[in-house]
Amino acid sequence: MSVRTLDRPSSVQRYLARLALRRGQIITHLILILVTIGCLAPILWAISVSFMGKEDLYRATPSVLPSRITLDNYAWVLGTMTSGNSNRYPQWFLNSVIVTVLTVCIVTLVATMAGYAFGRLRFRGRDAIFYSSVLLIFVPRAGGLMALYEEMYFLHLRNSLIGLALLFSGGLSVPVFIMRQAFLHVPSEFEDAARIDGANRWQVFWKIMMPMATGAMAVIAIFTFIDVWGEYLVTITMIDFPNLYTMGVGIAGLFTGGAQVSFTEVTTYGAQAAGFLVFIFPVALVFIASQKWFIRGLSEGIKF
Amino acid sequence: MADVQSAGERFEGVDDSRVGLREWVGFVRQIKRESWGDVSGYLFILPMVLLYLAFGVWPIIRGLSMAFSDYAFLNMNQAHFDGLANFIEVADDKMFWFSLGRSAYFTILYVPINIVLPLIIATLIASVKHGKIAGFYRVVTYLPVILPIAAALLLWRQMFDEQFGYINLILTNSFNVQNPPGWLSTPELAMPVTVSAVLWKSFGSNVLLYLIGLYNINTELYEAAAIDGAGAFARWRFVTLPLLRPIFTIVFVFSAQIIGATQEPMIMFGGGGPENSVYTLGLYVYNVAFKFGALRWGYAASMSLVVGLIGMAMAAIVFRIFRPERLT
Repeated sequence: MSVRTLDRPSSVQRYLARLALRRGQIITHLILILVTIGCLAPILWAISVSFMGKEDLYRATPSVLPSRITLDNYAWVLGTMTSGNSNRYPQWFLNSVIVTVLTVCIVTLVATMAGYAFGRLRFRGRDAIFYSSVLLIFVPRAGGLMALYEEMYFLHLRNSLIGLALLFSGGLSVPVFIMRQAFLHVPSEFEDAARIDGANRWQVFWKIMMPMATGAMAVIAIFTFIDVWGEYLVTITMIDFPNLYTMGVGIAGLFTGGAQVSFTEVTTYGAQAAGFLVFIFPVALVFIASQKWFIRGLSEGIKF
Repeated sequence: MADVQSAGERFEGVDDSRVGLREWVGFVRQIKRESWGDVSGYLFILPMVLLYLAFGVWPIIRGLSMAFSDYAFLNMNQAHFDGLANFIEVADDKMFWFSLGRSAYFTILYVPINIVLPLIIATLIASVKHGKIAGFYRVVTYLPVILPIAAALLLWRQMFDEQFGYINLILTNSFNVQNPPGWLSTPELAMPVTVSAVLWKSFGSNVLLYLIGLYNINTELYEAAAIDGAGAFARWRFVTLPLLRPIFTIVFVFSAQIIGATQEPMIMFGGGGPENSVYTLGLYVYNVAFKFGALRWGYAASMSLVVGLIGMAMAAIVFRIFRPERLT
């Protein structure tokens, strides 16, 4: 029996088979492509606008695509323009980085330690403490923002990036939950082996158990990063000085007419769009690069 | 099986200056016998408990206590316990009821779409066999969720700008519409546009939740149903929907609280829109607390509490309806 006597699928059919595409699925993909366009539309628009120069803005019939690509909007945003530049984007970006990195480090470390304790150690009140922290997610929050303001005011932590990081680190219910799940799934033989070899508690945790849970640690680090990077409301409540703003607050200020720029090719809309894209670039990158962990972390968290 | 030995006999001949395994195990056992258990556990949870108490628990308690007092931040000496006076005032407050109505309108527009549309999209994505393409769709639908809320909503607002926004540009150029509507300046249109912005930003979360549920359904069940003669729709109705019940519980419980959660988007779109058409309760509370006059935090907190309780009541109702214990 030779292959030549069989009908071989044409190359088109093989390509479609590789794409796992059947006729009924065409509609599915059409709809999903529409959804994709809908989701990405604002971002695509921002990309287009960010490259637009002045004349595109004031044309009688404005168009969707820029007639001429100009990088001036980006130059203004990134602070590399030389003339009349009083924006603080680079400063704001740096502030965002500081707050976010601090928060991520604190949350990851603290939640991992607590998750290990709740998952692996036995002490009185362990379950009571854990479950009350979980329950508190569902308590209605009244006056939370104001209570925070008052608290930060009296602790002199307002107008401080470190204070902000500490504040953001308070949302520990979900990370601790995830870490506890992760440690529950680690086989205890490793722990016993280490204990038999004479390690004390901290060494068991730091050298043996924690490295086994780095997947979950990555998940909560990513979640925390995404949450903190784009935070607006609490930040603007806590920080009054523009040079301490994070990027989220600064960009919003640009949108609401804080800066009217009109030199060279920079336009207000263009600058807004460029600023927006620069702002979301890190978090979008982190998100896309971490897809594998993201899905896994969410499935872990749902298993009650 | 060794005879029972005394400790002295057991360690006969062992050099006491070395702490070996047996001593260590005995020591640990002794600690465990005491009712506190493993003391190092407390050390491990100490940072978490401190941070959580300070920034997670305390604001809740303080907020609740504020709701019952006449606390105006600018006159701090006057904070005294007022009992229910705040709530009586709330019942009379016309602005409260108006903004609550706007919040309810938002909820009615937002919640049904946010429950059904993600389900459809999730079903579509789950039916895509090709792993990488499905992954692409997943990423794209969840991407708006992770965008920073302030910037994203303001960008959306720019898109709907009457003269230079994307939407009107496409309408005038490609479809030759003469007078495209002023989306955010028309009272009837402002709320739906706002709802669409929040929908765009958040529907990805529900899509993901549904996907997790769908991916966990055993495909053999579908085959068994097909063998029994169930068509596509019947399969969906009798296999998919019941097995998605825990996910529906989560989705509905979170949706039930939307009425109180419409704070941040409104602050973005600020100003309450034309003729206050998007002036929701969240915005009103924020203004009372941080913008109006004496910054009456007590009053704002009490309004927050009222709507929070409404949300909690609705969530409890949903939870009872959907109690997953019904599944064996």
